[in-house]
Amino acid sequence: MAAVIKESRSDRIFLLLNYVYLAIALICVLYPLVYIVSASISSPTYVNSGEMWLFPKGITFEGYQRVFENQSIWQGYANTILYTVVGTLVNLLVTIPAAYALSRSDFVGRGFFMAMFLVTMFFSGGLIPTYLLVKNLGLVNTMWALILPGAASVWNIIVARTFFQSTIPKELQEAAHIDGCTNLRLFWKIVIPLSAPIIAVMALFYGVGHWNSYFNALVYLNDESKYPLQMVLRQILVLQEMTGSGIGAATSGEAAMAMNQRADSAALLKYAVIIVSTLPIIAVYPFLQRYFVQGVMIGSVKG
Amino acid sequence: MKGSFRTHSGSSTSFFQRFKAPRTATLVLSIVLGTSLLAGCSSGSSEPQVGSAESAANVNKEGFPIVKEKITLSMMGPDVGMQNWKDMPAFQEMEKLSNISFKFENPPLDSFETKKNLVFASGEYPDIFYASSLTQADEVNYGSQGILLPLEDLIDNGYAPNLKKVLDENPAIRKSITTPDGHIYSLPVINQQSIWYRSPMWYNGDFLEALNVKEADLPKTTEELYDLLVRFRDEDPNGNGKKDEIPLASVKLDDVRSWLLGAWGIYGEDIYNDANGKVHFARTEDGYREFLTYMNRLWSEKLLDHETFSQTPDQKKAKGASNQLGLFQDWHAYFTHGGKPTTKDPMFIPVKSDAVDKPAVAIHPGLSTGAFAITESNPAPEASLRWVDYMYSYDGAMLFDKGPEGLIYETVNKEDHTKKWKPLPSEYNSREDYRGTLTPNYGTPAPTLLSPDLQKGLKEDFDLWVDKQNEEKILAYDPQPPFPILYLTPEEQSEISSLRADMDTYIQQMEAKFVTGQEPLSGWDNYLATVKQMGSDRIIEIYQAAYDRWKNS
Amino acid sequence: MQKNMSDTVQVKGRSQASAQDKRHTFWKRISRNWELYLLIAPAFLYFLIFHYGPMYGIQIAFKNFLPARGITDSPWVGFDHFIRFFNSYYFWDLIRNTLTISLYQLIVGFPLPILLALAFNEIRNGWFKRTVQTVTYAPHFISVVVMAGIIVTFLSPSTGIIVKMIEWMGFSSPAFLTDPAWFKTMYVLSGVWQSTGWGTIIYLAALSAVDPQLHEAAIVDGASRWRRIWSINIPTIIPTITILLILNVGSILGVGFEKILLLQNPLNMSSSDVIDTFVYRTGLLNVQYSFSTAVGLFNSVVNALLLIAVNQVARKTSEHSLW
Repeated sequence: MAAVIKESRSDRIFLLLNYVYLAIALICVLYPLVYIVSASISSPTYVNSGEMWLFPKGITFEGYQRVFENQSIWQGYANTILYTVVGTLVNLLVTIPAAYALSRSDFVGRGFFMAMFLVTMFFSGGLIPTYLLVKNLGLVNTMWALILPGAASVWNIIVARTFFQSTIPKELQEAAHIDGCTNLRLFWKIVIPLSAPIIAVMALFYGVGHWNSYFNALVYLNDESKYPLQMVLRQILVLQEMTGSGIGAATSGEAAMAMNQRADSAALLKYAVIIVSTLPIIAVYPFLQRYFVQGVMIGSVKG
Repeated sequence: MKGSFRTHSGSSTSFFQRFKAPRTATLVLSIVLGTSLLAGCSSGSSEPQVGSAESAANVNKEGFPIVKEKITLSMMGPDVGMQNWKDMPAFQEMEKLSNISFKFENPPLDSFETKKNLVFASGEYPDIFYASSLTQADEVNYGSQGILLPLEDLIDNGYAPNLKKVLDENPAIRKSITTPDGHIYSLPVINQQSIWYRSPMWYNGDFLEALNVKEADLPKTTEELYDLLVRFRDEDPNGNGKKDEIPLASVKLDDVRSWLLGAWGIYGEDIYNDANGKVHFARTEDGYREFLTYMNRLWSEKLLDHETFSQTPDQKKAKGASNQLGLFQDWHAYFTHGGKPTTKDPMFIPVKSDAVDKPAVAIHPGLSTGAFAITESNPAPEASLRWVDYMYSYDGAMLFDKGPEGLIYETVNKEDHTKKWKPLPSEYNSREDYRGTLTPNYGTPAPTLLSPDLQKGLKEDFDLWVDKQNEEKILAYDPQPPFPILYLTPEEQSEISSLRADMDTYIQQMEAKFVTGQEPLSGWDNYLATVKQMGSDRIIEIYQAAYDRWKNS
Repeated sequence: MQKNMSDTVQVKGRSQASAQDKRHTFWKRISRNWELYLLIAPAFLYFLIFHYGPMYGIQIAFKNFLPARGITDSPWVGFDHFIRFFNSYYFWDLIRNTLTISLYQLIVGFPLPILLALAFNEIRNGWFKRTVQTVTYAPHFISVVVMAGIIVTFLSPSTGIIVKMIEWMGFSSPAFLTDPAWFKTMYVLSGVWQSTGWGTIIYLAALSAVDPQLHEAAIVDGASRWRRIWSINIPTIIPTITILLILNVGSILGVGFEKILLLQNPLNMSSSDVIDTFVYRTGLLNVQYSFSTAVGLFNSVVNALLLIAVNQVARKTSEHSLW
């Protein structure tokens, strides 16, 4: 399409500058990332003394070994994938319809609903009443305690609503109504197919949220076999964090010694844990990118 | 504002009641009322009846098993991620002995605090808190509301013979674990092995050797210390030809402060009492100003690490590993240096200034509270107490310190408690890794009596060398704990916390500024006036009252 | 065309309507769109149950909360906690630091994802685009602890790579970690590094709505790339930009405490202490639910007022606003 037409000189310069800009951005971001990967397999002494600054030095795989010698890690992965998939589905089922309804200017009561949602962005009852609610609903120690209390985010609803408002042409809705198409049909047959980019973004935002979350698991889960990955990784890190300066009255000389041994791998673990926990979710991103390609949606309507 | 919040909660109630089945309505009622229903059952009875004839009848006052009919209780304690508590040999052995089994709830150590607060708030208490680090505020608040049971009657009525013996022999411990309302709500860790109030400071043995300083010639005054630090700086003791030595290392001064303050007769870095029973606040003492002056001198002559206020403990350690540090704090010197235990690095000898005759040296108080508590939901308080009492005997302490006999150690002489290590199973990296799978008393404040006897025969040459260093460099200086372990009333507690919120921040900032010279020492009077205005005198007053109460109880 | 028609129909209807008819049309509008209530019902129920249900907890800001007594039975103390906060020695420092960090973050951090997204949008889909996009997105997943660790390591006066580079170029390096003047820059720029790539996602999605026919027509008219970005791409994402800006203003007093706490030290405290770190520290001394809730409530009220104000401005000056 557009590429058929020859670029003008100024456009070529513009494009070149654009590439330079992106290349600089790439380098700025890449360096610390490489650093983290290197740090995860370098001897912590070199890392802390600044001698390791790009390539790994004093290579050791102890960090990864420590992570993977923990049997619960695979269970953790499985749990996290389950919670992420189910949780994200629930999020989308709540968010997308609500956002669409709110995007309709002919929706009576839209102001009321917006206000009601927005208030919760600022005011919340706090941890204890929420915990009591979840407990009284019988959700404690079930997967639903991680999913239902976070079934939607106002922020995401608003972002999705904005997308619908600015991309779904009003004409389309009115035409559909005149054709006698019901709202549900309109939503399902026309709006949803047009909204791949926003659905992809919402899935990503919510999915990443579920993937990274541990606090709800910490509060609501008692059974270790239900722990998501992040909780398992935290448990691995706990021991390392027990180190400190030995001020605690209860630590005996022996415990101090054990902690010192572990402190050496603490730094390693910190980096290894980042890699282990984020590689899968980073790998998902390139697959989602194709939904952001320009013209996907209008093209599909008009074409 | 207030009004509108009420409306919200009101509207949600009516919504529920209208749309949900009746069963849910009561449920909703309890949501809205919070824990008040539950609390209502317990509050009001200011002197709760502990135990019952029924629960007592099942308990043997002596020997094992503790209960005639097997019982199961729930226990909450922190998980350090080594082993599930139910699989620990110490608990399994104890269950066989006592006939009491447990259902465990073990949140990870770093989130234990959050979980503990939720448990209290939700009204679903475990029967027992074990190694739970209950704060003094927890005990005073929940104790007075009847959630934690008072234990003193059970102790005195023969359900805790071992503990009673310890308390009778050490009245100070009993004073320290009794709250202002006269009850004992939690049992302590009694630690007769610990000496260090803070981990000690150590000299770099390599540096001393290079400079030909013998252990007997180590500094004993602040001036001698200064001279040695100058030599560390100037004479290239690590022999690499570079001037990269850091004479005195520190992270935010928290590690070295209390050791050096002793040079001006100050026992602790915060609240401490002198021999006459007068309470002091270290940060407003003249000696503290002298300390700041001294540290500022070390700073300006590059004797104190210029990264003191920005570095992490890991970064300090890395400098130690590359042999740059002259004097530093750690549990053992080799933790910082890396490598194997060595007797080459001597312990810091307390130094004194001209202002005092001898340095003030702090020692571990040997006690921490809040390690064990029984809640109102416990159906068998007598049995629970007898269970934990075993931990205050030699055999029980041994079982929970090292696991059952024959795994990690074996007894050589039953009479004098001499033991020896058994070979380490190959799947473990160290004895401590193995020990962490045997018992919950690993890196957690568990209720027990840690007597020196527990280690008899198990000490290696290095441990004996450390003992000797302690003997010569700490115990020889007539050390005292800075301040006794004691309870504040809830009112005192909350007044102190609100006074200290700003004051601690201010003190911390000003210390860094004085030491680095951003604020000249001439600003001291100003500083003192500000701290006083923030309520330091009131803090001293509160602690003095608490101290007097403790002393006279 | 159809739009115009329906407008005329409406206008005609309105002019003829009596009061009764008006109510009639109101109900008609509701009944015609009853399915929209079905669509919003799950969200409505969710917010009602999980947000409004526990909302009674806010009262502890005006009480002295004792967990064992429960929320409703704890004693009232009125505005004590608020007064204590306002009377804090550091109150104005906290407000000033919080606001400056937030605004700094907004001014530097807000436009960058937009620029990056526009730049991405100009290049063809290929390995380069995919790589840059994925790489810039990755830092979002680095935990705060590791992030702070990297900052301290890179800026360490004795070994930090950035410090060494500055010295290698012949300058003397500022004390990034301890100089109060550098704290905010350090905090904001590291945040930009971490979140710019992530922030582009939403704009990329918005840009995908651009009609390719518009571009084709513009190219035929001889419009340069720059011109097309300016008059086609940017207007498309303006609604998203406006809404995000309003939402950002609505969280201006919430800076978050974790990263600041890890980078804070006694020497830079005068510029690094914010409301959230203050609350965290106060809470550490004693579990002070009530005090934290009170400060949180104060933050919320201010944030909500700011959001309302900004939204009013947006309503007056543009056609995009929250309501």
